[in-house]
This record gives sequence, structure tokens and C-alpha cells, in this order.
Amino acid sequence: MTTGAAKMERWFGKFTFWKALLGVTIAIALYAAYVRFFHGLGASTNLSDQFPWGLWIGFDMLVGVALAAGGFVIAATVHVFRIEKYEEIARPTILTAFLGYLLVIVALLFDLGRPWNIWHPIIMWNPHSVMFEVGWCVMLYTTVLALEFSPLVFERFGWKMPLRLVQRIYTPLVIAGVLLSTMHQSSLGTLYVIAAGKLHPLWYSPWLPVYFFLTAIAGGLAMTIFESYMSFRAFGKRLEADLLQNLGRCAVVVLAVYAMWKAQDLLSRDQFATIFQVTPESVMFWGEIGLGVLLPMVLFATPRVRRNENGLFFAATLTILGLIVNRLNVAITGMSASSGTSYFPSFLEIVVTASIVGAGFTVFALAVKFFPVFPEAHAPAAAALPAAQKPEGAAAALARSRPAFGKAVLAGLWVLLIVGFVVVAATRGEGRIDTTTAEDLLDPKVAARAADLRLPEDYTFPQAESSPGPVTFSHETHVDGSQPRCATCHNGTFRLQEAGTPLRGGLTEERIHRGDLCASCHNGKDAFGIDDDNCSTCHR
Amino acid sequence: MKVGILTDLTKCVGCEACVWACKEINELPREDGAARLSGTTWTAIERHGNVNVRRQCMHCEEPACASVCPVAAFQKTPEGPVIYLPDRCMGCRYCMIGCPFGMPKYEWDKPLPLVRKCILCYETRVKNGGQPACTAACPAGATIFGERDALIREARRRIEAEPGRYVDHVYGISEAGGTSVLYLSGVPFEKLGFRVDVREDPYPKLTWDILSKLPSVISVWGVSLLGIWWITHRRDDVAEAESHGHGGSAAGPDKDRH
Repeated sequence: MTTGAAKMERWFGKFTFWKALLGVTIAIALYAAYVRFFHGLGASTNLSDQFPWGLWIGFDMLVGVALAAGGFVIAATVHVFRIEKYEEIARPTILTAFLGYLLVIVALLFDLGRPWNIWHPIIMWNPHSVMFEVGWCVMLYTTVLALEFSPLVFERFGWKMPLRLVQRIYTPLVIAGVLLSTMHQSSLGTLYVIAAGKLHPLWYSPWLPVYFFLTAIAGGLAMTIFESYMSFRAFGKRLEADLLQNLGRCAVVVLAVYAMWKAQDLLSRDQFATIFQVTPESVMFWGEIGLGVLLPMVLFATPRVRRNENGLFFAATLTILGLIVNRLNVAITGMSASSGTSYFPSFLEIVVTASIVGAGFTVFALAVKFFPVFPEAHAPAAAALPAAQKPEGAAAALARSRPAFGKAVLAGLWVLLIVGFVVVAATRGEGRIDTTTAEDLLDPKVAARAADLRLPEDYTFPQAESSPGPVTFSHETHVDGSQPRCATCHNGTFRLQEAGTPLRGGLTEERIHRGDLCASCHNGKDAFGIDDDNCSTCHR
Repeated sequence: MKVGILTDLTKCVGCEACVWACKEINELPREDGAARLSGTTWTAIERHGNVNVRRQCMHCEEPACASVCPVAAFQKTPEGPVIYLPDRCMGCRYCMIGCPFGMPKYEWDKPLPLVRKCILCYETRVKNGGQPACTAACPAGATIFGERDALIREARRRIEAEPGRYVDHVYGISEAGGTSVLYLSGVPFEKLGFRVDVREDPYPKLTWDILSKLPSVISVWGVSLLGIWWITHRRDDVAEAESHGHGGSAAGPDKDRH
């Protein structure tokens, strides 16, 4: 038997910088959870009444679900279209999707105000709500993914019966998964269709559901390529190069359809000129479309890039970044201008998001160690690229340096974009919001309105036994008709409601002499004071 | 009978009686003041120049909040008020995204917050034939409660009687498909922070037009997938049968290739 330390190492591997960073991030995330659940969303996030959805919805939910789309795309490819050579990709993508949805739910528990009610849509129906539909689909699809993943668990433990059971229903399961995914991937876009006039016209469109669906497919394909590359680096396990290249080709088609659809839509809504004006929105739009759609299209479509594993990985990364920026643009950039405020996620919001991503990587790594995620036969097939395509000698050095240079330039562009976004987000709140306090806004009719004032009738307080005489209060003598401020007296003690019982606790001599009630103004400063020789001023 | 509120901004003296009456009847903390809507201020007096603008939930005829809520925590009552059922709420805040007027506010400082907005004193007053605390408290007759149709007639009568006093528009008759809360103003509404780009169609229609098509899309998509599967499946089986010589079970059961 192994010792505890060896066991730890078997499970978690060697101690590295990234693992240390992950540990720190998770520790801060636990603190964030404490702040969120004991002090509220206001204390833990930069959300506000003007900006109720931020990073946790924009990234954790919208991006999370979209990046998990590889699950249904590959499952459909293998089990419906029966292109069975993709079978070996299916397992890691389904695992990614399954983890993705679980993490989306974890993120939701942070974001929801009353997370223990998360199950309410099961019994409290509102079929008119897009969110209701999304909730149901996510619930059902997570179950489908669990079942799609379950054969690996059954195989691992050699449980034959349940394995056969799941295999029998696998095709219907996959079809159900595709239908559910079609529904909620698109519906996440539909969520924003009701935000007409709030979401910036560069993103607002009745076609949002189609856009979300197409970009999710492209993102899912890119994610499969990305994962394969990362898995090779981490576990020495990878998938066949030609399979991945074909995924790249498919991504080109999907991205092209998306770009064309978007272009004609912008044209037909007379918004095409908007993309050439220099605004924070158009900058982010170009970041998304230029660097995240058009550029990867070109890269994927170029055989030399596609056949180079770094090139393929790089194009996939761009596609994923493009998808992330798209979802953040819809959720944050596009909602900023109309909100009248500026939003940038708080430190704790970012840490929670980062640790959820980190948790995703960690659990994926553990699952790969524990379950047969990557088919054994291909594990040692490291030489995925035919030798003929490998450049040699000086040419190789050049070929190596070129992608490195390209990468540096693009990394720079992204950094610029993100810095630009931060600056814009930080400065945009100023100079915004109403010009309506301007002095020129004077309604001349208003001067006459004091005449309309119908103050309540005089009120005589019940006389106490020790009182020198009854007190009758008159609003006429207490209210400045041109500038009435009811709350001066109706501040909680003198009630506005329930005529005839204006007081809480009764009007007593003792309270008056304590400086309470009438005496809070009748103190000799704000109004004449109450003393022993002017009783008759009020007691008549 | 559909009820509503008519607020005549040319008559509002800005005394805030409505605000404090609201806080009193709903037992809301007073610290937040009266100047802007929040989780603890369900009606507010915004000062725009010398015009006082009393804001509150518009109580749409077809409310976006009720349409978007996944658990139906917002409901339009037959009388008109849009009410909130806190026990249902899971706190997704989609209502805040969906509302074209930005009325639902949140309890950001509470660990387990609720959505907050004017509920037109439905349970406490309106359901029993009373009027809301705010209109009851108004000393200037600037905000009045009544039957919505009667209020619209009254608003039009006022504009007709004193055309110089009002802009020729009753805000709320057609905005967002019509609202229970109506406004008259002496200056253009856009100068007072009112959204004038709101659609005349009800907002729920936007998403329902898409959502209601899902069953058709999904049934066609589902049949297509099944069809594709049937063809590819059959093709495989035929190929398999041929490669095995004359299996004779070309149409036989799936040999489980997973």
C-alpha cells in the first residue's frame, strides 16, 4: 500500500507553480464565498441596480455553456451522422461538457440571490420565460451528459449490467442531447431579445438565438482542438491530427455562416456604419469579429497553418477567445451604454470565476487519470503529424520563430484590447446620465402649483389630564407651500397613514421635554422653544 | 375593473408625502432617502430643474418582469397591480434585465436578497377596494388613483382644457403596450429621464415570438436527426452484412458499436 504522501502525489502529481496558484485562488474564492453568503452580492461584486448581470453571468454562465457545446456536436457526429472515426474524441469532449455544466451550476449558486430555490422551476412553471426553458434544458442536458459519461465509470469498475443498459439507449440519449442543446444554446441568446433598447445595436438582434447557436458550435469545435493539444502537453495523450484538422475545416464553415448572417443583419437594420465609428462598442466588436472570427477563419482555411499543430492550436485559441469576448460583449460591453453606469468586475468576482475555471482543469486532469477518457491505443501516438510536413534545418528554425512572432503580436493585440476595455469601462460612467438637472429645465406653470396644495384638516390631539389645554395642530402654519417637506415631521414618529392616529407611542409631556416630537423642531433654534411661560401658545 | 394611477407632474409640489407614506405602509427603512428608487425606496421624487418627478413601477399591462421570471414570482393581478411573490424568487435578476423601465431593484446589501419594487399596495389596500398609500397621502392632488380608463379620460380632458399647460402626450397609454401608471407633464418627457424609445408593442412579445416557435423547430430537427441516424445506421449494417458475406441480418439489431 502506498503512503499518504505517495498517494497524494499519485492523485495530484508534482507540486508546481500552477498548482500553487490554483491553491491560492481557491483559498481566496472560499473567502469570496464567505463574503457573498454572509454580506451579500453588494459586498462581493460590483453589481448594482443599473447593472444586475456581470461577470458571473457573462463568463461563468454564457461562456461556460457555449464552450461545453463540443459535447453535443461530437456526440451527434459519432452517433447520428455515424462518422465513427471521431469516436475517440467523443469521450474527452463529453467529459468537458459534463464538467462545464456542473461548473455553470456552481457559478449560478454564487450568482443567484436565493440559491436554495434553484430547483423552483421544476414545480413553479412559467412557460413564457426563456430562463424557465433554459433552466429545464440545462437540468435535463446535465443528466444526459452524466449518462453519456457513465459508460466510462461502468467500464472502470467493470459493471456490465448498467453498461449494457446505457449502451442500448445511447442513440436516443444523444439525439435528446442534441435537441436540448439546440434549445438552450440558442435560448441563451434569446434571453437578451427582451432587452430591446438596452443592448447595443451591434449585438442586439432578433437573430441572437441563431448567433448564439452558431458561435457555440464553432466554440465547441475549437475547444475540442484546444483540449487535445493541452492534454498532449499534460498527459502525453492526444488525438489524431487529421481528425482535428477536419474540425478546423468545419469551424471555418460555421464561422463563415455566422459572419455572413451577422453582416447582412447589420446591413438590413441600418447598423453597418456603426461598426466603423470609433466607440468603445465598435472597438470591442472588432476585437470579437476581427480577432475571434475572421482571423481564425483565415488561419483554419490555410492548409499550412492547419497542418501545423501549433497553428491549429493557435487558431482554435483565437476562436475560443472570440467566443468569450462575444458573450462578454453581449452581457457587459453592450449593456453598459444604456445602464447609465460603468461596470467592471470586482476582485472577488474575478477570483471566483478564475477558481471555477481552475477547478475545471483540475477535475478534468483527475478524471483523465482515473477513467479511460483517452483511448489507450492512441496514447503513445505522439507523432501525430506526418514527418514529411515537419520543416527541417534552418527552415525549421524559421518556421518555429514565425508562429512565435505571430503569437507575440496577437497576444499584444489582445492585451491592448483588454486594457482598452478596462480604461473605457473605468471612464465611461462619467459625463453620462441625465442632463436633465440642467437649469434651463424650468416649467413656468410650476409656480402656480402651491395654490393646488390641499393640506390635511387641523387635528386636535386628545387632551391629557395634566394638560393645561388641548393642542390643535395646523398644517397651514407648519408647511411652506412653495417648498413643502413632509418628511421633516413625518419621519417615522408622526405617521402619514391612518388619519386620527398619527402617533406611535402617544404624545406625552415627558416625550416633549425629552426633545422628542414637537420639541425636535420647537427647541429654540429651528422654531420657538417650549418652556413654562409659553404653554398657551399651543395649549388653547 | 382595471385600476391605475395618474400622476400630473405639473401639480407635484415635491413634498415627498407619497414616498414616506410608501415607506410607512411597507415598513421600509428610511435611511435611503427619497431621491431615487432602490430596494428600500419603492417610489421616489426625482428633481429635474423645478419639475418634481415621482417615479414608481409602471405596472405594465403586459409586464416584461412577469414574462421573464422563470418561477412566475411576478404576476399581473386582474385589478392591474403587478405583484411579487418572494417565496418563489430564486434571485436570477432576469426581471431587472427584462424590465424596459428598470424598475425592479435589488437588496444588494443582504446576504439572501429579494427583488423590490412598488406593488401598488395590492394586498394591503387595492385588493380590498382601497387606494394605495401614496395617492392617499398626496396633498396636492398630483397623483390620483382610479379606474385606468377613467384616468385616461381625465388626462385627456386636462390636456384639452389647458393645452398650454401640458405636452400633448399621456405617458403610459401605449408605452410598452400600455401601463397602469400614467403621467402628464408640462415639459417633454425625455427631459425628465423618461425612456421615450420604449416600444409600443408589449415586451413579452419579443421573446414569445421566438420561444413559441421552439416546438416546431425542435420537432422538425428531431425528425431530421432520427432520419439521418436511420440512414447512416442502415448503411453501416448493410456494409457490415456484405463484408461478412451473406449475413442475412442486414436489418437486424444494432450490434452495439459503442
